[in-house]
Amino acid sequence: MRPPKPAGSLLRAFLLIAIFAADPGESEMSTWKDQLAGQIDPAWAEEIDVFETQIEQRRQGKLDEKIFAETRLRRGVYGQRYDNGQRHDGIRAQEISYPSGSLTKGPETAWDAPGMQRIKIPFGGVTPDQMDVLADLAEEYSDSVLHVTTRQDFQLHFVHIDDTPDLMRRLAAAEITTREACGNSVRNVTACPLAGVCRDEPFDVTPYAIAISRFLLGHPDAQDFGRKFKIAFSGCREHACGLVSMHDMGLIAVTKNENGQEKRGFECYVGGGLGAVPHQAKLFDSFLPEEELLPTAQAIARVFARLGEKDIRSRARIKFLVANLGIDEFRRLVLEEREILSEDERWTAYLSDVRDYNERTLREGKGVNPAARPEGFQEWYKTNVYHQRQDDYGVATITLPLGDLSAWQMRELAELARRFAGENVRTTVEQNFVLRWVSQSDLPDLYQELERVGLNEPGAGSILDITACPGTDTCKLGIASSLGLAGEIRTRLAGKFMEMDEAVRNLRIKISGCFNSCGQHHIADIGFYGTSRTFSSRKVPHFQLVLGGKWTENAGSYGLAMGSVPAKRIPEVLERITERYVKERAKGQSFQDFIRDIGKLELRDSLEDLMTVPAYEEDATFYSDWGDPREFTLGDMGIGECAGEVVSLVDFDLAAAERLVFEAQVKLDEEAYPEADELAYGAMLQSARALIKTEFLDVADDPDIVVEEFRKRFYDTEIFHNRFAGGKFADYLFRRHKSPPREHTRDHAHTLVEESQLFIEAAHACWERIAQHQVAAASASGSTAGPSVQ
Amino acid sequence: MELQRLGVKFFLHQSSQLELDDLVPVFHSWIQKKVVGDHILVDVHNYSHVPRGPGILLVAHEGNFSMDSGDGRLGLFYYRKQPLEGSLESRLGHIFETTLQAARLLEEESRLGQLHFKTDEFLLVANDRLKAPNTQEVFEQLKPGLSVFLRRLLDGDDFTLSRQEEPGERLTVQVSTGCSDDAEKLLARLS
Ligand code: HEM
Ligand code: SF4
Repeated sequence: MRPPKPAGSLLRAFLLIAIFAADPGESEMSTWKDQLAGQIDPAWAEEIDVFETQIEQRRQGKLDEKIFAETRLRRGVYGQRYDNGQRHDGIRAQEISYPSGSLTKGPETAWDAPGMQRIKIPFGGVTPDQMDVLADLAEEYSDSVLHVTTRQDFQLHFVHIDDTPDLMRRLAAAEITTREACGNSVRNVTACPLAGVCRDEPFDVTPYAIAISRFLLGHPDAQDFGRKFKIAFSGCREHACGLVSMHDMGLIAVTKNENGQEKRGFECYVGGGLGAVPHQAKLFDSFLPEEELLPTAQAIARVFARLGEKDIRSRARIKFLVANLGIDEFRRLVLEEREILSEDERWTAYLSDVRDYNERTLREGKGVNPAARPEGFQEWYKTNVYHQRQDDYGVATITLPLGDLSAWQMRELAELARRFAGENVRTTVEQNFVLRWVSQSDLPDLYQELERVGLNEPGAGSILDITACPGTDTCKLGIASSLGLAGEIRTRLAGKFMEMDEAVRNLRIKISGCFNSCGQHHIADIGFYGTSRTFSSRKVPHFQLVLGGKWTENAGSYGLAMGSVPAKRIPEVLERITERYVKERAKGQSFQDFIRDIGKLELRDSLEDLMTVPAYEEDATFYSDWGDPREFTLGDMGIGECAGEVVSLVDFDLAAAERLVFEAQVKLDEEAYPEADELAYGAMLQSARALIKTEFLDVADDPDIVVEEFRKRFYDTEIFHNRFAGGKFADYLFRRHKSPPREHTRDHAHTLVEESQLFIEAAHACWERIAQHQVAAASASGSTAGPSVQ
Repeated sequence: MELQRLGVKFFLHQSSQLELDDLVPVFHSWIQKKVVGDHILVDVHNYSHVPRGPGILLVAHEGNFSMDSGDGRLGLFYYRKQPLEGSLESRLGHIFETTLQAARLLEEESRLGQLHFKTDEFLLVANDRLKAPNTQEVFEQLKPGLSVFLRRLLDGDDFTLSRQEEPGERLTVQVSTGCSDDAEKLLARLS
């Protein structure tokens, strides 16, 4: 959509005088609402009007802040870091005194604080006209940058809440909604970016993805979830594109022959998900006929809304419901629900057009012209072009560093899409774009144009193509700078990319700023998630190294944590691991197999020296994060020494716990599940005991006593509670203590190992809080003593 | 309501040497020391990996500062997000003053290589496609008020105004003058 054309010349003249009038408020200005009247679906227009009213109600204190928070989240309006009005500037915590004062848009969220707007793009499909609108919005309401997310959405940052209704109207006029982009709702429906042109798929999943996202958008049965619900489509089982296994509902296209006729359906999975404790999805139905897709999704939604956890957020995803009930019972309940649903014509109405769904090809496909090869083309072609199953057409991947592109680039890309690819643009879960239906003969010209606009980077799907969540840059929960680390790794690797061994080039790196795993670190060859550690009362940013996850086979397996490494040493860790892989791997050996063969124990030993942190006086750079010059420290050096001694006692015990959980991982790999379970449980007990010892040194090591003391001293008092996660990590210990597994499965053991890891992290964090508190108390009383041990 | 979302961009002189990343600690220290008057500074964001983008961004409630290359040339871009009171000329005065003050701070910054901002050519951007679509008519409407202001800023030096006509881009007016005064001098005329 281009800027609106004013109605008539007289009116226009009037408006223009009003715009530049010295005296504001005298004339009646046009608004986006007026300008776009009639261009927006009436239901969507009304929703946005209602949202605008809710904004006004909240401003006047007539709408509860919690209700308003969930309302805006369901419209994709998210909070952003520092929106509680506090920011540590590297020297001290400063108040950001917004003019809105005490007015909030949610608990502890200042009204005027810049926020994030997520924009839902079903199956990642955008048209060039929509791209133009997105570019305009990025300039006018955000910071001129568009960010593509790991679920094919767009995000705009630093947006003021007052601008969101107009932003939404302009999107709605371009047929884009932000509804249910966040909040406890059905999130963006994702699909392979190659759907329709892929050589492996039995059929194109796109029209089904469109149908399900339309059907569930605002559906009354999908409004009462305890948590978000994510759906993904894949064209095949073997390749990664759809990442079906990590979704709440995953669908893989399959066909079968019935009475000589090909019948379409889906292999349907439920209950997958990343997050702090990842779950692989369970098979719900090996052949869900196409006409059952929508009613089954509706029935699943109803069961989830009815039986899913509502109070404990950390256990509210459908994965927990499926795990608790067991997949058989879950299936039975869903099928029962399916039986009683009243017939809805939308279930099948779209099916009559599904086979005709066909994306327009504007240009005739011709083979590559061998004569014209601009410099750099060949490398780019090798990594960034996919041959469609339709002869002479290719898919060009536009690699975006960290998922970002500027508004200008977006507009230029829209123009290139018009010229070379018609309407066929999609975002990908690897935070890139693809232009589909490009004639092979146009590729050299396209490449040259992409070079002109700075979008010609080779290396799509390679080690350079790093995925990172927003981390400490904009996310409120971020612990370490995932984007900063990703930027640093990219810069270092880019220079050597061409000389890199092919095997290393093809590895995937994914980084999250904390354990919540928005950056999908579980499914990377080499993953990282942010943590922090304290040394002599100063904080040091760290990342847990997660090795051996699998991106292929629809996110086929999850990696396990290897230990925390100081952020500033990660590039060295990466270098050491990849060099060793190049040198020692057997021919054709996958990274996962290589890691498994070396064994985690040995690998960890080989990295031990990189897990150390030099003293602050020796090298202060360790005490700030990548890309952020502010110091991480909250401590005071004068008091540090005493605190350090005591800290080291607890740290020692916590390190022992880390060692136990590490051994548990090794046992898990050896498929020794009872041992893995026992060790992971032991690690939690060990870290609980470490904390108890700060108050009660002679605590016995009987598990009953440890759990009882821990509950009394740290759980009931909420000292162990995380501000955001509450007591969820403590629940892991209590649950395992109360009910040891009746049978030892890989799933159980894997979950417990993950939980144990998180419990230890929480124990570290808890100790850091206690130490800070004691240091502050000591300095307030003038004492130089650190935390005391009795 | 009148046109409020205006931005100003001063280009870096060719002789300036700047590593974009070096601006990150500088902007952080602006937040620490609260050096930008009338602004609630929020955060710094590094977009140096994005071609033709905002480079290094300093977000404030009232308006954003960036070492921007959105139009292909590196320069200090400030755009206003919150409304200002008064006539167009006085609003322009405020916005130019803020931008020039930031330019001066950067020129004086010892952690950066010698930076110089050009004053013989700069841009005025209307960041609002509703109220100021990029048309000749709107440009004509903007000219008188802008000219009054520029005569004050440039102290009588001649200037020419031209509109950048790239489709889809925001209304952007290029101001070219024979002015050889530095940012400090221009600033003095606004206080
Ligand atoms: C307890 C809080 C949170 C949990 C458990 C959580 C968990 C997750 C998980 C598991 C994913 C996705 C992987 C996938 O399905 O692709 C994800 C995606 C994402 N999360 Fe979070 N997240 C949380 C809060 C946040 C916050 C506060 C932000 C920052 C504003 C954030 C930003 C993102 C982004 C950018 C994505 C990818 C985008 C998308 O859905 O379009 N998350 N989150
Ligand atoms: S992983 Fe953590 S830091 Fe990253 S976006 Fe999610 S919640 Fe934020």
